[in-house]
Amino acid sequence: MTTTDDTAAIVAQEPRARLGQSVRMRSSGAFGSVSGKVLIGVFVAFMVIFILGPLLWLAVHAFASSWTFPNLWPNSWTLRWWQTVFSDHALGVAVQNSLVISPLVVLFSAIICLPAAYAFARFDFFARRTFLVGLFATNAFPKMGLFATLASLFYALNLMNTVVGIIIVQILGTIVFMTWIPAAAFAAVPRSLEEAARDAGASRIRVFFSITLRMAMPGILVAAVMSFLAAFDEAQGTYLVRAREYFTMPTEMYTLVLNYPKQVAAVFSILLSIPSVVLMLAARKHIMGGQLAEGFQIR
Amino acid sequence: MVVNAVAPPRAAKESRRHRSGARLSPLGFVMALPPILIVLLFVGVPVVSALAFSLGFTGGLNSIVSMIGLNVHKADAWWGTLAAYQEVFSNPQFLADLGVTVLVTVVSALIVLFMAMGIGLYLRMRGGWLANVLSGLAVIPLFIPVVIASWAILTFYSGDGFVRSVFALVGLQGPTWGYTVVAIVIGSVWTSLPFAVLMIASGLQAIPDAMIETARDAGAGFVRIAVSIMMPMAFVPIVIAATFTAIGVIGSFTVPYFTGPNAPTMLGVTLTSYFTSYNQPQQSIVMAFTIFIAAGAIGAFYVWANFRSAKDQGRV
Repeated sequence: MTTTDDTAAIVAQEPRARLGQSVRMRSSGAFGSVSGKVLIGVFVAFMVIFILGPLLWLAVHAFASSWTFPNLWPNSWTLRWWQTVFSDHALGVAVQNSLVISPLVVLFSAIICLPAAYAFARFDFFARRTFLVGLFATNAFPKMGLFATLASLFYALNLMNTVVGIIIVQILGTIVFMTWIPAAAFAAVPRSLEEAARDAGASRIRVFFSITLRMAMPGILVAAVMSFLAAFDEAQGTYLVRAREYFTMPTEMYTLVLNYPKQVAAVFSILLSIPSVVLMLAARKHIMGGQLAEGFQIR
Repeated sequence: MVVNAVAPPRAAKESRRHRSGARLSPLGFVMALPPILIVLLFVGVPVVSALAFSLGFTGGLNSIVSMIGLNVHKADAWWGTLAAYQEVFSNPQFLADLGVTVLVTVVSALIVLFMAMGIGLYLRMRGGWLANVLSGLAVIPLFIPVVIASWAILTFYSGDGFVRSVFALVGLQGPTWGYTVVAIVIGSVWTSLPFAVLMIASGLQAIPDAMIETARDAGAGFVRIAVSIMMPMAFVPIVIAATFTAIGVIGSFTVPYFTGPNAPTMLGVTLTSYFTSYNQPQQSIVMAFTIFIAAGAIGAFYVWANFRSAKDQGRV
């Protein structure tokens, strides 16, 4: 890893070096040759089929009325399965439960974790590192192993079959996202900016809300999106709490796949993907920009 | 789409200096407490009481579970009993599942690392629209809930799925991967790829251009630059990607539950059926601890790599 001074020197040199070198960069190396290009082409084709293939295959099922085996296309099209899904009461309730419970989970998780994230970034205190690693342990240990042991506690606290129980189970999956990613974001806000604002006469609270919080917002946004998806996708724990009347969309998906025709599950899959896709597209810039990656390095 | 590393080293360094300036802030400790207490209560307590239950202590928190559960071994010595562990570890079914779990974890992690390194290196060394298409594709699974992904992958590779259809159209007998260990590996790679690509691409992107070009001027080829400069420089992100992938796969339930065979399957599925279907919570918890220990070993590697890099940068 370079020191700060090295980086500055390199940044200063960079434009010159780049201009002179760019032609050579393209002509040399393994990827420059024809075989390299073919290799890349094959890999891209493989990735398109590997990543998108299953999703498109599933999406087409949602509109297929019947399908004979070796055909790559259904025999005829229908919207019947969409009607089945929209007229099924249990599915509607599951959608409703998911859309109410997941935002609640994100909200509670933010209230619990964001002050801690700020503390991890800005203060040094007793057992700080132990705490950071301890929070990571919830992520390191397999969820299912955790839930099997959690059940005893839930029985004892009468949390089985309750909404509170579901919310607690889902919060456990969001804590790492909600502390680590915002902590990295808070740590990246330059102190000099805050001090300059203080010198200009801004109050502490004003500095926090208009400088620190605003600059850390992309990180918090990524954390919120990841937490929402973690809560929204969480099925095992919710399933284990066994709250039949509080079935959420993913738990419903388990029963659907076992009890309904393939096409109904396909329709439901599309519906279940909508919130994730919308949210991820909204936060895409920051996730690709490194906020997520930055959050997982202990500092 | 441009993958880029943020958080300049200067800012991180400065904030660290400030942090050590205000040593041992009681306010910081209090602010950090809420998530710690939640984790202690809802993860720490169950884990300790589960450990006691697996050793045959059936009182306290474990009384209800041990009353409901079948085939519970009770402690016969002051330190408990290893009967549940003996029973599980002499069960050939469990040993086969353990083998499958380790195999799927290692193979998936290697494939994910290989693909993420390839995409990351191509993005860093060449750039361009094709590289952006590749990284964009690799991140798509992050958008899709795992339940749906598993089910989509099952139908894609099943007996009447796309792969077999394509083979059949050209008159060949294609492989049926649905409900096999191969499908579990495919599903695990599919779902783990985005995080690994983001992590590794961000690490490689942070390497200064000048270093790569100096090596190239000195006559180093693509492979030499990748092995001698890129990989050591991005060591921590690569370790994080590897350990998170392995930890995610080793404890996974949804992917093997949907795509895998009935037996032998991964331990995440087996321990769930022991808990919910066979009603043998003690045996289920023994299996959970087996995964716990394996994940703990992988997690220790992650913590070691992070602290090593923190030391290198003078942050500790």
